[in-house]
Parts: sequence; structure tokens; C-alpha cells
Amino acid sequence: MDFLLQGLLKAFEILITFDPETFSAVYATLIVSAYSLAVTLILGLPLGFCLGYFDFRIKKQVRVVVDTMLSLPTVFIGLLVYAFFTNRGPLGDLGLLFTLPGIAVGLTILALPIVIALSATAVESMDRQLRVTLISLGANRRQLFLSTLWEARLSILAAALTAYGRVMTEVGIAMMVGGNIKWQTRTITTAIALETNKGEFAAGIALGLVLLLIAFGVNVSVSSLRKRY
Amino acid sequence: MGAPLYSISDLVHVYRAKPVLRIGRIEIPTGCIVGVIGPNGSGKSTFLRLAGFVEKPTAGEIAYNGKPAAPFSPEVRHKVSLMSQEPFLMKRTVLNNVAYGLRIRNDLNRLEQRVHAALAWVGLDAKEFAKRPSYALSGGEAQRVALAARLILKPEVLLLDEPTASIDALSAQLIKDAALKAQRDWGTTLIIASHDWQWLYGVCDRVVHLVRGRLMGSGRENIIFGPWEPGENGLWGKVLSDGQRILVQKPPEALSAAVIDHAFIVPADQPFPDGENQVRLTGLITRLALEKASGDIVGSVLVANIPFTATLTENQVLENGLYPGRCVHLLYDVNSVRWF
Repeated sequence: MDFLLQGLLKAFEILITFDPETFSAVYATLIVSAYSLAVTLILGLPLGFCLGYFDFRIKKQVRVVVDTMLSLPTVFIGLLVYAFFTNRGPLGDLGLLFTLPGIAVGLTILALPIVIALSATAVESMDRQLRVTLISLGANRRQLFLSTLWEARLSILAAALTAYGRVMTEVGIAMMVGGNIKWQTRTITTAIALETNKGEFAAGIALGLVLLLIAFGVNVSVSSLRKRY
Repeated sequence: MGAPLYSISDLVHVYRAKPVLRIGRIEIPTGCIVGVIGPNGSGKSTFLRLAGFVEKPTAGEIAYNGKPAAPFSPEVRHKVSLMSQEPFLMKRTVLNNVAYGLRIRNDLNRLEQRVHAALAWVGLDAKEFAKRPSYALSGGEAQRVALAARLILKPEVLLLDEPTASIDALSAQLIKDAALKAQRDWGTTLIIASHDWQWLYGVCDRVVHLVRGRLMGSGRENIIFGPWEPGENGLWGKVLSDGQRILVQKPPEALSAAVIDHAFIVPADQPFPDGENQVRLTGLITRLALEKASGDIVGSVLVANIPFTATLTENQVLENGLYPGRCVHLLYDVNSVRWF
């Protein structure tokens, strides 16, 4: 138990002294998660809305595909993205392998099905009377879409939060696509894996605490947003 | 009354491969009050959703001011407003719910004042209610807020689907008064579906009767659903819970619906004109209502558990001493029964 306690104390020291290596990993994590979440929400919310709102012929089949993608193994996504971004791959010329944008692409593939599936469920479970009410009050199609999203905001917020949690704590994609390069593409999770392998528990715990702190901050912000209604 | 505001023709609406509404033709003039009555599942709500341009009919045309219109058409989007049976309020405060329609029209002039006036119109104190979240309202208050959200838009047409069902008496009265005031003050055309036929006959210029998705007439027809069983003298009948029999000529099908257009009420303790083809049923008068359009009195008689209606004149009511609770005979000619 001593090494854990010492690790914890050392972790606080690392955080208080703003250890550059640790904060480089924190920065990399925040950047890739912000990029991937932004793209995921921009693509995922309209797609999730359409999937939940409209009835079309292959809706059930699309839903099965999206739900299946929820359980895609991250190492498989990592492998796939690596294969596309490697010099021999079809997107090798983009030079995204072992870069933060490259990791963000992989994380977007991971988070997109989560946002699509959960926002589709949120829209599907909304009262059918909402559409009638909005049209009756004079909404056009764009206003109908935006108001429906706004009404489903709490559920959509939960979808975004779930996706963010998944992206923040991901290891496989960051390791394979990012390469865990110090000062460059090392994220909190890949750093924790590395430090643990090296027996450096203090650094691992420090990074773990930062991860917890970020998660706590995000949840507190979301809770305060919920309370505003 | 003016030129037809609505001209509805050959309207068909199908839900899950089953036709739920078939209307050949109906016209609704500007500024009038139209009541829609009918049993549950008769297509009243579907009719209102189509006339409210919330849904597109499967076939047929709804012309508004002479022009064919559909959901989101600019001709109707800001002019026609439907209030559903179950009041739906968005997850916002009362103020934001009522102001929603004006905000999406970008009509922000004196917004708060207008919201307060609309709330006052439906009997809600703005100081008390404006900042309340919608989940903190009772059913009657929610229904009134939903109506205020429509009244603030000064719609040309207001469609109300069972506006007073399952709410308290005070809220029901305030909703009735507010809707009628809109018609009086702005000439708003009101189309109201309700089971409260006493109210509808009292305020409507016209009442239409929807049965199994079809327009039946003025709403004074008595519609008796089968099954029918063969009886004596070639007549068929339906036995009621108290043992009385509704007699008819042979129906087209055992499950056909019989339509009795004209029934007469005479006090049970007075002699009545006996006729060969006359059928007599005994029941209690439950309600008497004045029909605004004709000035006639519409009486409702409960025979076993089936309500019948019959038209009466003021003299008939006075001379025969007809009043709710009185035991009466209901007479009709078996040959006058139509089939539906």
C-alpha cells in the first residue's frame, strides 16, 4: 500500500509543479478529444435526428448497423485508421499517421455511432405531440429541426457526454494511430499505460487524477446546464 | 359569414393501410364556428390534424382561401393553429412557451407585455405563472397556457381538439370563453371537436357528425351499431341491457350501423300516437340544449345505456313539461331507418 500512497503524494507534486511532460499529455488529450467531439457532434446530431425522426424503408437496417458499430473494438478502429493513413494506405499522402488530427479521426469513428444512436433514441422517445405543436405554432422545417433538438437537449447532452467519456479514456486508437510519441502524440491514457509498464506509479496516478478532474468538471458543467431549466 | 375559407374535397386519409377518414366535400366559411362530434375513433382528431395542416392527407385536396394548401405552405403556416387534446408544452417556462410562436416569426415587439395579455385572456396571472417551468402546471393550467400560446398569434383559424376533456370545470369554462372571444374580437374561424355537444350546439353555427371517418350530417342523427339479430314479423333487432329492443328492417349486414334521423319524445305518462311501423323505447331525458343555428332545442334521452337525440320546439318542451330526469317515450318509424 505504501507505494500507492507515495505515488499519490508524488502525483500531487507533479500537478502542483506543472510538470511539462504530464501537461503535454493533458494538452494532447484535450486537443484530440475536442477535435473529435466537435466533428462527431456536427455529423452525428443531424444524422441521429434524421434516424430518429423520419421513417424510411431501410431504417431498421441502418439502426442495426449503427448499434453494431457501438461495440466496435478500439484496436480494430486503430488498425483500420492506421491502414488508411500509413504510407502504403489510400490516405497516406495526407500525412496524418502519428499526428493528433490522425488520432482525432480514429476517435471520431469511435464516438460517431454513440452520438447517432443516442440522439436518435432521444428524438424517437420524444412526445409525438411536439411536432404537432411546433407546426401549429408556425414553425418551418428548419425551426422544427432546431426546436426538436432543443427540446431533446438534455438527452443529447447525455449522448455528447457519453461520447466524450469514451473518447477521453480511449487507449487503443491513440496508441496505434498516434504512436505514443513523447511531447507530440502522447495522451493521458497512453502515458498512463507507459508509466505503469515502467513502474512509475506516481506519474500514472497524477495523469489519472487529471482525467478524473476533467470528467468531474465536464459533469458539473452539464449538471449546471440541466438545472437552468 | 363569407366566402368559403376551407374547401375540402375527396379527402382520404389512410393509417397503416386502413382508411380512417373519407370526406366527399365540405366547405367552411370564414369566421364561423364549426363543431365536430362523433364517437371515439371516428376520425375527429385526424380531421383536425388535416384541416390544421399538420399532416398531409393520403388523397384529396384541402383548399384554403381558394388555394390548395399543405403542411408548411406559406398560405397557412402563420394563419392556422391547432391545439391538440393533450396539451403539449415545451421544456421551457410558461413565458417562453407562449412567446415561441412570436419568436419564430421574429415578432419581438412588446413581447413580454403581449405574453402577459395572452395569459390574462385565459385567466392566468402573469406575475404568478410567467416564470414557472411547464412541468409545474396542473392539467387545466397547461391547457390554458397552450391556448394562450395560440391566441397570442391571432390566428385566422383555431382548431381545438377536445379542449375541455379531462380538465377542471373552471379551466374548461375559461377555455371556452377565451376561444369564443377570439372569434368575436378577430373573426377567428373556430373548428372544435368535442364530446360536449351541449356546448357545441349552443355556440356553433354548424355541427358536423363524423362516424367511422365519414361525415354523417348535422349530428342530430342517432347511430346505432350492430350486431343485429333476426326477430319477429321480419324485423331485426338489438337487445339493450334493460331488455328493450331497438327494431329495424333487415340490415344489409349484421354489423351495419343504423341511422335514425328523426325520433320523437313524448312523456311516458301521456298517450302517444300509435302507428303500425312505430317503435317505442323508454328512457330518461338527460340533457336539453339550445341549438344556436336553428333555435331548436336538442334533447338527449338515455335508453338503457345508449344516448338518443331528438329535436324539440320550445312549445313541445313547455306543453309536455320536458326536463332532464323525466321519463319519456322515444318514438321512431322503423321504415325511416337508414343504413351506414
